[in-house]
Amino acid sequence: MDRNLVSEAAMPEETCSEGIADFDSLVDLHRPRIFRFILASLRDPETAENLTQDCFVKAYKARAQFRGESRLGTWLMQIAANLVRDHHNSGRFKFWRRSLRSHVDLNDACDWVPDQQRSPEAIASAKEQVRAIWNAAADLSERQRTVFLLRFVEDMELLEIAAVTGMKEGTVKAHLFRALQAVRAKLEEPK
Amino acid sequence: MTQHLTREQIAECLISGAGASAHANECAACRAEMARFESALTEFRGAVRHFSGLAGRSSSPVGSQIVWTTTPARGMYSGNEIKAGMSSLLVNAALVTLLLIVGMAKPVEQTLTKIIFLTAPDLRTLKPKPETTKGGGSGAQNSEATKGKLPKSAPRQFMPPVQPIDQPKLSLNPTILAPDLPNISSQTYGDPLGAVGLPSSGLGPGSGIGPGKGPGFGPGDRGGFGGDVYRPGGGVTAPIALIKPEPEYSEEARKSKWQGSVTLQIVVDEAGFPKNIQVTKPLGMGLDEKAKEAVMKWRFKPGMKDGKPVPVIATIEVNFRLL
Repeated sequence: MDRNLVSEAAMPEETCSEGIADFDSLVDLHRPRIFRFILASLRDPETAENLTQDCFVKAYKARAQFRGESRLGTWLMQIAANLVRDHHNSGRFKFWRRSLRSHVDLNDACDWVPDQQRSPEAIASAKEQVRAIWNAAADLSERQRTVFLLRFVEDMELLEIAAVTGMKEGTVKAHLFRALQAVRAKLEEPK
Repeated sequence: MTQHLTREQIAECLISGAGASAHANECAACRAEMARFESALTEFRGAVRHFSGLAGRSSSPVGSQIVWTTTPARGMYSGNEIKAGMSSLLVNAALVTLLLIVGMAKPVEQTLTKIIFLTAPDLRTLKPKPETTKGGGSGAQNSEATKGKLPKSAPRQFMPPVQPIDQPKLSLNPTILAPDLPNISSQTYGDPLGAVGLPSSGLGPGSGIGPGKGPGFGPGDRGGFGGDVYRPGGGVTAPIALIKPEPEYSEEARKSKWQGSVTLQIVVDEAGFPKNIQVTKPLGMGLDEKAKEAVMKWRFKPGMKDGKPVPVIATIEVNFRLL
């Protein structure tokens, strides 16, 4: 499991609400996750960097409003999800989405498969799978992609996802279900 | 044994993260199916995390201290937006007001409303320049063509023999459209048989030598020598008659048993048709007319100059004999 997840999970609730005071360590702790989520959602490292920064700036400005009802990570992820949604709705993103589809994706998903001293066949098959899921995720709706990434990349619980996206648990489940069906269809698609 | 798990049930298991159901624990096929899908998702998770790590590292190298400033971002005007906006509005309003005040001032209004009448000049007094037709002759000079050598003959005239020209941009030897004619040696261009005098290429308005309108030598409005036509010889071939219908005898001449020959002069044009039929040596008794009628029907291979058909003058003798 990721180091950040461990450290956050190990962090008691009261420390989380106090963590606001030490904002620098909060950034260190949560930045990789937030960045990863935004990057996977938007597929543009530069925009992901900017939005991650925006996310923490917003959090810093609104730190007084944090009531400590949820975990800090969930709260930050909520801000990040909102930012991604706003960016998704802006015309600028539409342009980039078009250009990404029409051009070769520089961040080809298969390049990311970590080479853990596996056989070339295993790596090739893993690359195939990752590419299929990546392409499937690109075709998902914005909500479906968000819940899919939160569940299967960030390993978040359904209730937590519901809190982040502001949806009911049932709705989250339905979106996840449809996302999984689409991903599976892509995986089983003959090459 | 219960039924195999449906896709929906597998998805359900993965979503809730509850792990395999009782059936999956028993059924190896279902377990393998679930594991396959789960491993694909795990690969995806690993890949995204790996990529995120790589991308994040490029901006913040591992090992170096991440400097994170938590100063809230400020606007371009550092909080002076309202002040800047108001001053801009004031400046613009002042400019517009100034323009309005100046525009409404009496002297300005009077100047703007003053009507100035523009009178169009009467152009009727100016006569249009007579159009000079480019045709045969010599560019309408003031005197007859003076003595001089004839320019070289050429199939196309690029440079008419106009004289004198000071420092031409691109010097070309002047030419005329005419057969090769007997020539003389002279410093100036002109008529070889002309009088000595100030250099002139003749009275004609064309670009040739002499009084014609064309680019040739002598009268006429086309190329050639002495009219619009060429004469055989000097590089010009004679036309050859191809179709020669026999002339009819006139009733009058037959009765009086009149014999002899009629000489006609014709011009065979570029297409091989006879033109300008003139009787040079008549015979009478209506035979001249009959000869003309017959020659009208003749067809020729036109005379050629430098491989191109040209109108050539030809003489035809038509014999009338009674058997």
